[in-house]
Amino acid sequence: MLIGSAIGFWVGILPGIGGSATLALMIPFIYKMTPQEAFPFLLGMHSVVSTTGDITSVLFGIPGEATTVATVVDGYPMAKKGEAGRALGAVLMSSLVGALFGAGFMAFSIPIVRPLVLAFGSPEMFMVILLGLTCIATLSGHGKRGFLCGLLSGGFGFLCSLVGQERQAGIIRFTFGQLYLWNELPLIPVVVGLFAIPEIIDLLVRGTAIAGNVSYGNLSKGVRDGIKDTFRHFWLTIRCSLIGSFIGILPGLGGAVAQWVSYAHAVQSAKTLEERAGFGKGDVRGVLGPGAANNSKEGAGLIPTVAFGIPGNSGMAILLGGFFLMGLIPGPDMLTKHLTLTYSMVWTIALSNIIVVAVCLLFINHIANLTTIRGNLLIPFILLLCFIGAYTSNNHIGDLIVLMLFGGIGYFMVRYHWPRPPFILAFILGRLAENYLYVSTSRYGASWLYRPKVITIFLITVAFVLYHFFRKKISIRKEEPHEV
Amino acid sequence: MRYSGEHFVSPCLMAMAVGVMITAMKWPFKTALFPMIVSVFIFFGAMAEFLLTFFESKHIVTKQGAVDFQLSEDIDQALANRRTLLGFAWIIGFFLLILLFGFLIAVPLMVFLFLKVQAKERWGISLLLTGLALVFFYGLFIWLLSIPFPVGWILEGLKMPGLG
Repeated sequence: MLIGSAIGFWVGILPGIGGSATLALMIPFIYKMTPQEAFPFLLGMHSVVSTTGDITSVLFGIPGEATTVATVVDGYPMAKKGEAGRALGAVLMSSLVGALFGAGFMAFSIPIVRPLVLAFGSPEMFMVILLGLTCIATLSGHGKRGFLCGLLSGGFGFLCSLVGQERQAGIIRFTFGQLYLWNELPLIPVVVGLFAIPEIIDLLVRGTAIAGNVSYGNLSKGVRDGIKDTFRHFWLTIRCSLIGSFIGILPGLGGAVAQWVSYAHAVQSAKTLEERAGFGKGDVRGVLGPGAANNSKEGAGLIPTVAFGIPGNSGMAILLGGFFLMGLIPGPDMLTKHLTLTYSMVWTIALSNIIVVAVCLLFINHIANLTTIRGNLLIPFILLLCFIGAYTSNNHIGDLIVLMLFGGIGYFMVRYHWPRPPFILAFILGRLAENYLYVSTSRYGASWLYRPKVITIFLITVAFVLYHFFRKKISIRKEEPHEV
Repeated sequence: MRYSGEHFVSPCLMAMAVGVMITAMKWPFKTALFPMIVSVFIFFGAMAEFLLTFFESKHIVTKQGAVDFQLSEDIDQALANRRTLLGFAWIIGFFLLILLFGFLIAVPLMVFLFLKVQAKERWGISLLLTGLALVFFYGLFIWLLSIPFPVGWILEGLKMPGLG
């Protein structure tokens, strides 16, 4: 856990490297670990990324992670006003409160989720996979094209998951005569290629230090004030943590959404118009809200992943890959046979955040230095990790070809604004979805479609799509007069 | 109207979906069911996306994109394209080095070449970082984890006539 937290600490600070990409890079290291070692390692890393990602958001206005963008809005103006220390103190302490809240939320939700999971059969699980994919596809894009691209990206992920020997009838599909492909497309080269290669290319294109050409000053002033601010606005921090937890539990949402909703809530908490006008210009509440929410969603995000096998975001999708590598099947077993392991995840999130926040507060001046390392010095090392990480998947040269192929696909997806999270979600869940469909059709014929729970989940899926479609239409109409 | 890469993504997906449908027709019903459903959905979805991309303005198409990592846009497009190609060339180059020389030689060679040619670093830094990369690679993956790495075509070729 400590090694994982140390890696997550640096990954969060470095804007060029995403938490999901690093999680994918670290997955090969768990091959020889036991589940009791592997999950503290992976979760220790993943759960602190948002915490330290806030540091770069505040210091340079460059989000360390996709989940720490909202912190920039008020954190960076605070830094420009000479209140960087206060902003960092506030964001780190609210992150810690959020993380502890999220871990507690997970611990207390498990007994409630348990009977719910046990009531779900293959048809319901198939529909839940479709619901999760629809959620993430809907929220991964802007407008009708973004929505379509999200769904198509998911469909493409399903198609890629078909490669290899089919499990039920043993039919070989889309292997192009290659024995290597009989055992499906390997997860790690696909994930590393899709997420890490576009970021490496972009780092090379920018040709600057990883945090751009920015400098930093003395940051130690005001840290204590920032910590006090968290407790001065304690109920706001708790409310934003609750928002983060609720959003985290919904498949397809996650930190990127949670941070903005909680920021909006922080703005709403302003009592007067003058107070509200201070947001965006360096109000500490604009830092506390997103800081708490993007950490509290970590614990809550584990609930659908562990209980249903439905990852809430790409990071959780990769973590789900870790479950399979460890021979663990998310679902009822995780809440009965492996309950101890599930609860150890709660402790991992809590402990790793306590340790990392303490370290951050101690070394706040020095940690900012890393963001000024030139990208050209980092690229060969990141590339090295990508290649070795991919190769160790099957110890086969084919892994490297898959890495490059999906690196290219990932780059074009980013370039042409096709969302990658639905792809990776569908790629990971494709075999599971097909299996559930196969079992449902074999056991119930077409009658599984009329099961009440199946119909309910289907209606929720449709409602989710319609809600977002109409909400976007309404917001576009509202924006139109301004554009004119 | 000017065509760009994004106009070709949907037709490619449609072609892929048709290919899957044709192939799946030869399979038993239950094996073909899931691929059929997915490919039919992709075919019609990609057709709709193609029409949207074709008829909407470039601005709207870009605006209605993904909530995901975005490439830097503050760099001159020609320079960005050149550096992107260069980036992919380095990636493919690393792969070829591994294929020819194996990981143990390719890793330090790649790190050194990148630092010296692309980053234009000084000899001292280049050699130091190359040494660090080699120690990291050898220490962790060969010595500690004992992962079997291929020796590469050239060394393999030399071994065959007994030269290696």
